[in-house]
Amino acid sequence: MQRIEILAIALTFALIILSSAYARRFGIGREISLAGTRAVVQVLILASVILVLFRLPLYWSFVVLLVMVTIAGHTTYSRSGKLENGRVIATFSIASASFLLLIPFFLSGIFPFEARYLVPTGSIFIGNAMNISSLAIDRYRGEIKNRRAEIEACLALGASPKRAVAPSFKQGILSALIPSIDNMKNLGMVWIPGVMTGMILSGGDPVEAASIQIAIFISIFAAGMIASSLMLHYSTNSFFTQACQLKEDID
Amino acid sequence: MSFHLELRNVSKSVFHRVNETKIRTLLFSDLNLKIGRGELVTIMGASGSGKTTLLRLINRLSDPDSGTILLNSIDICSMPPQELRKKAGMVFQLPVMFQGSVRENIAFGMELWGESMDINALAKDAGVPEKLLDADTGRLSVGEKQRVCIARALSTQPELLLLDEPTSSLDSISAQKIETMLLGLQRDHDLTMVWVTHEKEQAGRIGGRRLILKDGKLEEHAED
Repeated sequence: MQRIEILAIALTFALIILSSAYARRFGIGREISLAGTRAVVQVLILASVILVLFRLPLYWSFVVLLVMVTIAGHTTYSRSGKLENGRVIATFSIASASFLLLIPFFLSGIFPFEARYLVPTGSIFIGNAMNISSLAIDRYRGEIKNRRAEIEACLALGASPKRAVAPSFKQGILSALIPSIDNMKNLGMVWIPGVMTGMILSGGDPVEAASIQIAIFISIFAAGMIASSLMLHYSTNSFFTQACQLKEDID
Repeated sequence: MSFHLELRNVSKSVFHRVNETKIRTLLFSDLNLKIGRGELVTIMGASGSGKTTLLRLINRLSDPDSGTILLNSIDICSMPPQELRKKAGMVFQLPVMFQGSVRENIAFGMELWGESMDINALAKDAGVPEKLLDADTGRLSVGEKQRVCIARALSTQPELLLLDEPTSSLDSISAQKIETMLLGLQRDHDLTMVWVTHEKEQAGRIGGRRLILKDGKLEEHAED
């Protein structure tokens, strides 16, 4: 390990210790220290895996991405209130959106088709698609629960479940995308995003870094929108019975 | 003889969650009811007796535990739920408005079913003033909202109208105006109407066949 790596890890641990010590007064000190330590260990393991991946055939990169998608699907499924078929729907939604948005980067030649580019870019899309889908399904479930009277009034007129939950669907997607929209609005003004920061710090050309960053940023947004739309679309039927009745136990 | 609506040995329980335990309460068992076409039936009963649940079973927003419900001699479970709900319109106790204007609310059912009806005529039938048609529903009083709900329920051209205490949140003058309007609609459109109320006086004013849901049984209510 070089001096700069040791210093970075030392700084990380110092900040974790200070944050958790401060957070003890809110009762979340232990949680912060555990989450921080876990993050450090996970990222170091990931770095070692990526290092190994560079030397392995390319299909191993896809295996790693599939593992990431499976874990992301499980996380979003937990947010769905353990909805019927939720695990499959979440995994499918995140995978479809992430892989779909990865294709143009490699087909257009922005990135070479190598593990060095495939795994980090894929993980950015998967992680963000997971976050946005989790927010969307959590809000969607809440909206359906709170709008029961409206949904049943709509069903009572002969509307399909999809038509009856249309306002909840819209609200679910909108709420999940608000943080991304706000980030997009302030991109470059309030903050410099991760990929661009990384490229600049490693001595890259700022214009090139900005071009790649904006392409990634819009792709993250698109992946999140596609994943959350697929997630809500395919999970709608899980809130209803075969007879188009809104289920009683939506918690 | 075939009836418009028939309930045969219908039973229904509901579950309440107390702490983490689910408690089952039997609302009614082996309920039987026969209603002729164009007939007006009022169902009375105390709060929690199962009146609303009974209407929800007919509209198939819920299913019975056992028994059969027939509409035009056809088991409603064998019909597509949407088709049943088009035929059996329902007006809820608390008026629920969809986002948009009064006109959009009234047109909702028509758009669902691709039918064209005169919105102004529907609004007039339900006592919704024409000047309110383009107003946002958020600005309406409870009575006006309930009238919009009635117009909206009529927009699918139902043959059976289920009314779940439609005037319970209104003052007595507004309630009586809506009663008169609904009775006029029932006569003019030859609608079969099941009207749930907890007010004995209202049931007396409405007329028709009076039933009482008590201790899980449906009984004919004797004239006072």
